[in-house]
Amino acid sequence: MKLSNTQMFRKINKWCVGALTVVLMTGTFNAKAQPDGATLFKKCATCHSPFKDGTGPKLKDVRAKWADGGAKEGSINQWVRNWEAAAAADPYAASVAKVKPTNMDKFPALTDEEIDAIFNYVDAQEEPVAATAAVDGGSGGAVVEEESSIGWIWIILGIVFVTIILSVGGVRRQLTIANAEQEGKDVEDAPSYGAEFKAWAWKNRKYVGMASLVIVISLVVSLFLALYSIDVREGYQPSQPIDFPHSVHAGINGIDCKYCHNSVTESRTAGLPSVNVCMNCHKQVTGTTPEQQEKIKKIYEAAGWDGSVYTGQTKEIIWNKVHVLPDHVYFNHSQHVVAGGVDCIQCHGDMKTMKETAKVQPVSELNKLEGNVKLTKPTLTMGWCIECHDQKGISEGPLDTKGDGYYAEIHRRLLNNDPKLYQEYLKDGKVSVKELGGWECAKCHY
Amino acid sequence: MKMNVKAIASWAITAVVLSACTAVPDSPGLEYTPDMYRSAAIEPYVDYGQIKERVNPELAMKMSAKVPPFGTIPYYGTDSAEVAIRLPFPYLPNVAFKQTHDLRGFDFSADDTYLLAAGYSNNPYTLTEQNADKIFADGKKLFNANCAQCHGEKGDGKGPMSVSGIFSGVPDYADKKDLSNGQIFYSIYYGKGAMGSHASILNKKEIWTLIHYIRKFQDANYGKFGEAAVVADSATVATAEKK
Repeated sequence: MKLSNTQMFRKINKWCVGALTVVLMTGTFNAKAQPDGATLFKKCATCHSPFKDGTGPKLKDVRAKWADGGAKEGSINQWVRNWEAAAAADPYAASVAKVKPTNMDKFPALTDEEIDAIFNYVDAQEEPVAATAAVDGGSGGAVVEEESSIGWIWIILGIVFVTIILSVGGVRRQLTIANAEQEGKDVEDAPSYGAEFKAWAWKNRKYVGMASLVIVISLVVSLFLALYSIDVREGYQPSQPIDFPHSVHAGINGIDCKYCHNSVTESRTAGLPSVNVCMNCHKQVTGTTPEQQEKIKKIYEAAGWDGSVYTGQTKEIIWNKVHVLPDHVYFNHSQHVVAGGVDCIQCHGDMKTMKETAKVQPVSELNKLEGNVKLTKPTLTMGWCIECHDQKGISEGPLDTKGDGYYAEIHRRLLNNDPKLYQEYLKDGKVSVKELGGWECAKCHY
Repeated sequence: MKMNVKAIASWAITAVVLSACTAVPDSPGLEYTPDMYRSAAIEPYVDYGQIKERVNPELAMKMSAKVPPFGTIPYYGTDSAEVAIRLPFPYLPNVAFKQTHDLRGFDFSADDTYLLAAGYSNNPYTLTEQNADKIFADGKKLFNANCAQCHGEKGDGKGPMSVSGIFSGVPDYADKKDLSNGQIFYSIYYGKGAMGSHASILNKKEIWTLIHYIRKFQDANYGKFGEAAVVADSATVATAEKK
């Protein structure tokens, strides 16, 4: 019975009747309480996909492929149970054994009915059309372009106005001179531009004096503002070799920051993932839109992955550093994240919504986030650091003297050493980082 | 002539000022003390190919995120129990993993080492009554940061990435009770099937911690000692009886 089923299936398949028949067939199988291919396939899905080569080859219509390749009857079922035995018995199976470097697991417990059910299930799958495409659009770029074009319009308008004013002034002067000539006056004696202006300024010296005072003061102020803006890098967003959308990875796929930036709990630097970490997912995830596929291809080039094996031909990905701290500042990520318990969003913002490449988040954006300590100074400046050290309390509660955490121990020692001082610290309901020496120069500069 | 000099000078100044606007687009802008920005010593994620005038072509794009020299032995202190947790795993990866799981810098074995690891049931990070809470708390943090996106926070294989269909066939840990500790370690450390190697992300102690935490998904009584386990049992019985 089961043999005739298989044969019938093959014949029908050869006669090119498509999915409809398969559905009908599975319908008849179900009527006889056949094993559930969908559930059983989960075992295979770890390595096999119906439509895409992964760790194992794609499985849709694999029985037809084996039959066309000249495999012996029933050889494929034997392969599933024990591929080594199948490879020894059938030359086609032996050739298949060389397709992938990984050895397939053996499933000796599967019966022929179950294996057929799996293959029927796989063959009935329809390849999904790329409907989940365009997760992230390029809308950001368009907005930026618009802004910059507005700027150009102002500059061009300004140039036009200045030209008009100057030319009108020139025409007026020429007219005056021509007028004077007509009246028979000496043209050589006509006052120069400078002399004319001097006379006018002297006449209105009160207003000119006040205006120039205002101009001088505003110049001095803007000079100081300009000096203050040196080294402030809010919004700094360098280009990157791969336009990495944090919104897809951390947002939609729910990957924790610490999975990729995994040295953040151990080290001074949060760490950029090496390409093998990217490949932990991207070996399977090849992208749905051409744009995504183009980006992911760069990872494959860097990892030396040719679609089925690692060739060893690797390449560097040269990222641009976004948060640059001067060499004379010491900052330690693990101290802040592990001992201090500071959330990533306090300094880096909500990367789950960041569609473009990473940038230095302006402090106004950071303040909008819930749970953040609200600060006023620009991001990554020293004022910003010490402002937070002043406001942030250590550990969860002010009297967290129990437990074996780092700051619980600090609280205990403060309480034991000088209870009076400790109570003074606690007046604002917390022991701030500043009160522990967070404003000492040598904490960060040494 | 005098006017010409003036005009040329003013145009030159304008040109210099304008040229400042078209600097390198990736430049972070002006710095007060550039010589105090660049460390003379080697720092992570800094390219030492060119520091000011000094060009070091042999260092260009070479000094970031390097692996330790071959044969380096990490120092784990003098506590023998602590060192035992971090001793090398006794099974080498299968030779195919060189091509399929990007294991560089590893020694390989021609045997099917995953099957051999089934005989390895020892977890060197011994679970005791004293450290059980810490192990499970650490395990939870590690699991949610490194595993939950695919395996789900409850270990049922329903993380965001498997629910959305990016990964299919992520198993429920409850169906994998027969796996030995050695096989779980093998899968995490070297990778298994679609799962990649996590040797570069997790150290051995973290992996053994995770294995304790995974066992907890399979058996709610795992890691409960003496009376606590019994109490938990009777409590579940009592609630069952109430129903």
